[in-house]
Amino acid sequence: MSDKKIQMIPKIRSGIVIDHIPAGDGVHILEILERDPALKNVPITFGMNYQSNKLGAKDMLKIQKDDLCERTIQHISLVSPGVTIKRIRDFEVVEKVSVQPPHEMVNLLRCLNPGCITQNEPGLKTRFILTDPKKNLVTCVYCEREFSIHELSPIV
Amino acid sequence: MKRDLISMHDLTAEDIQLYLDTAARVETVSLKDRFQLLQGKIMASLFFEASTRTRLSFEAAMYRLGGNVIGFAEQAATSVSKGESFSDTIHTVESYSDVIVIRHPKEGTSRHASQISYLPVINAGDGTNQHPTQTLLDLYTIIKNFQKIEGLRIAFVGDLKYSRTVHSLLQALMKFRVNEFMLVSPDSLRLPEYLKRVETGFPVTFVETKDLEDAIPYADIIYMTRIQRERFPDQIEYEKVKDAFCLNAGMLKKAPEQLKVLHPLPRVNEIAPDVDDTPHAEYFRQAKNGLIMRQAILLNVFEVTI
Ligand SMILES: [Zn+2]
Repeated sequence: MSDKKIQMIPKIRSGIVIDHIPAGDGVHILEILERDPALKNVPITFGMNYQSNKLGAKDMLKIQKDDLCERTIQHISLVSPGVTIKRIRDFEVVEKVSVQPPHEMVNLLRCLNPGCITQNEPGLKTRFILTDPKKNLVTCVYCEREFSIHELSPIV
Repeated sequence: MKRDLISMHDLTAEDIQLYLDTAARVETVSLKDRFQLLQGKIMASLFFEASTRTRLSFEAAMYRLGGNVIGFAEQAATSVSKGESFSDTIHTVESYSDVIVIRHPKEGTSRHASQISYLPVINAGDGTNQHPTQTLLDLYTIIKNFQKIEGLRIAFVGDLKYSRTVHSLLQALMKFRVNEFMLVSPDSLRLPEYLKRVETGFPVTFVETKDLEDAIPYADIIYMTRIQRERFPDQIEYEKVKDAFCLNAGMLKKAPEQLKVLHPLPRVNEIAPDVDDTPHAEYFRQAKNGLIMRQAILLNVFEVTI
């Protein structure tokens, strides 16, 4: 990493770094973080369009909090599968995982089908199965319709 | 584990074969002996929307096996109309019965019921999604006539875009290695592309046409469906096509001897009454097979072997 880059997005002593975000996806991840009540008043640094050998251009987020809840991580994996979540302690990376969408998504996404029981029965949790990880296609366990992850709105 | 019947997608070819074999055995058991099989069992028949044929068929099947039936025929007559939640209805009925049959206008309702109830649940139609007992009785009718499924040539006619009966049967037939279909429909009601791209492990050919006469010399089975006026945004378009997908006895003169005509019923005018007297008409026996298949399904639910 060049000195210039370090200046642009300061290192954090401890917290979470979300890295290898394809350029443009960063804002969508930021939207997810903003919805997480546990991150209210937590300092977050957001950088856009860094050079990356792997991606050409990438976004990056640094969060000054020691952990992210599982639900937020799952939401991130749906918006931008493959991003890296790094855990930082004393300026060192102590853990690094590449997040992928879970096989079964419980109450993370809303079904688009107006005739689906999940749209009509209060309190019923939605369930989707990742039926095609390459194309990001999910199938509603209830109405059995197939959707692209990106056309479904998240449940917050 | 309880034995639900929710969706054809849950069933392998072997599972389906078990239903077909059981149905064939049901026919060999005398009515008197059959009446002993589910003595003392109660079936809850919950029809949140009216479907007289399906309901009567299920209820008759239960009575034929010596069981009893409780339930309702439409939502308006029940506590549901007073605002009771669906899960409360299920939990109440649960304490009165041994199996729940559900018909509901919303997709996924039977799956939901099977998840919240400890009783086995049978899907009798959930909105536009699934109607597995129809598909099973269609398959049973086919195997009864031809003693096999693989290799048959099947033509689907009419509304191939919205008909869940067609979609479900088509997918089931592919599980039995049927690899060639004729699709006869108006342009605006063609079979959705995703149904043609199912991964089968072998090539499947679809011959598409707008001419019903093409199907007659071709097919072992012609599966007719109703073309509904509401499906057309433009009524002139409907008037233009509606008669083109109506079968009559004259057209069947060129039919091969073995050709059978199926229809999920009720028909409106897509099969002329003069077809009824030809040896090709199979739709009334198909409805009767529904009663046999539903007995087989109930026996399977209660794990009664015959
Ligand atoms: Zn759904």
